[in-house]
Amino acid sequence: MNKPTGSEIRVASPLKAWASRFALLLLVGAAFGLMLIGRTNTFIVEETRTAVTDMVTPILDVVSQPVDTFSGVLDQAEAFTRLSAENQSLKEQNARLLQWQAVAHRLEAENAALRNLNNMVPDPAMRYITTRVVGDPGGAFVRTVLINAGERNGVEKGQAAITGEGLAGRVAEVGQRSARILLLTDINSRVPVIVGSARDRAVMAGDNSNAPELLYLGPTAKVKVGDRVTTSGHGGVFPPGLPIGVVSAVGEKGIRVKPFVDWAHMEVLRIVDYEMTGILDFEAQVGAARAAAAAGNEQ
Amino acid sequence: MRQEEGLWHRLDLVARSISPFFVTMLLVLLSLVPLRIADLSPIVPALALIGVFFWSVHRPDLMPIWAVFLIGLVQDILTGSVIGPGIVGLLVAHALVVWQHRFFLAASFAVIWCAFMLVAAAALAVTWLLNCIAILTYVEPSPLFFQYLVTLAFYPCLAWAFLRGQRLFQR
Repeated sequence: MNKPTGSEIRVASPLKAWASRFALLLLVGAAFGLMLIGRTNTFIVEETRTAVTDMVTPILDVVSQPVDTFSGVLDQAEAFTRLSAENQSLKEQNARLLQWQAVAHRLEAENAALRNLNNMVPDPAMRYITTRVVGDPGGAFVRTVLINAGERNGVEKGQAAITGEGLAGRVAEVGQRSARILLLTDINSRVPVIVGSARDRAVMAGDNSNAPELLYLGPTAKVKVGDRVTTSGHGGVFPPGLPIGVVSAVGEKGIRVKPFVDWAHMEVLRIVDYEMTGILDFEAQVGAARAAAAAGNEQ
Repeated sequence: MRQEEGLWHRLDLVARSISPFFVTMLLVLLSLVPLRIADLSPIVPALALIGVFFWSVHRPDLMPIWAVFLIGLVQDILTGSVIGPGIVGLLVAHALVVWQHRFFLAASFAVIWCAFMLVAAAALAVTWLLNCIAILTYVEPSPLFFQYLVTLAFYPCLAWAFLRGQRLFQR
């Protein structure tokens, strides 16, 4: 390439500086514009997001597999070092659980009999979709993960995502072959829950920390550390009775819940397909109603 | 034969000139891979910020402002946060480097690292502020602070790799 002569530089640099300043302003303005669009028109943002995520998920799927294998090997090595101690504690736990199994069988039978007596409406059936966690954006602002199943696998918006230990989050966005799970700890997460054996109703709200907070507890509710928190099923988004965690702190910083889920080892998630139309369909229903009204007007 | 060489040469040039952009995009993807390490997820280093800063300092011609915008856009889309704050953060980092480009011309590695401390602090602070405004909630900044420290610690490793790569290319 030709080297610019001195006079060219003198003319070009103010022009160039002006152009680059203009470009900076333009692009910062565009970023603010995108922020506004994100607030006002979530549909477009969501469509774009799922499209991009769909493109990236196959890559993440491949890349995350060796990481999983490696972490599996590490876990195994760790497990080997405390094999006998673990065996001992598992034997004790097994003995305890066998007793619980007997109790559960008895309660199940009793429950079925009582339901039968009261002609109670049975809960809708549950179907599970098992998927792998392929992406974890991390960072300070969101608590979400990406899974490698989407619409074509039957994943729908609003479904609960669980691990063996308990509820992990809910499906927030769905693409063709990927979906984004909003974890319980995310600042946007709100889950209607039931606390303790008194079955007090509350809302569990995430704040990006590891321990979500319980809100809107009734004035008579007495919550103490160690109380179990489960989904209440209110709003019809989650099936009732999914285990979430235990109350870990009651004090100045509010009532905090420690979820059962082991966030670091969350490699596989099960999506619960609970055949029920919840409040999250509200937008779709309103949209359909509006479309119908518009069609009526045209005629 | 001659023409073919010319074509390969041109392809080579194109590949070299877009590699910073692609490598930084790759870093955005890489930061999404779940590492399965306890409590690491909230403080993963801001790899894209390192990439944008490094090439804005060393090859500003290969890291134009629109590329920074695109990288920020893809990053915000993929992390699932509000779209915008991350873009502005990267643009701020880029603008600061371009503004002080004379300073970086003769700077040693340690000095550049120190400059990165300031630039990264500014970029992350802007991102945090805009995020808070966008969701109208106070987001606890302590994980961000640790993320900042981890990013600072990661800078020399990545910069070393980038420099090695650059030398390999130039040979």
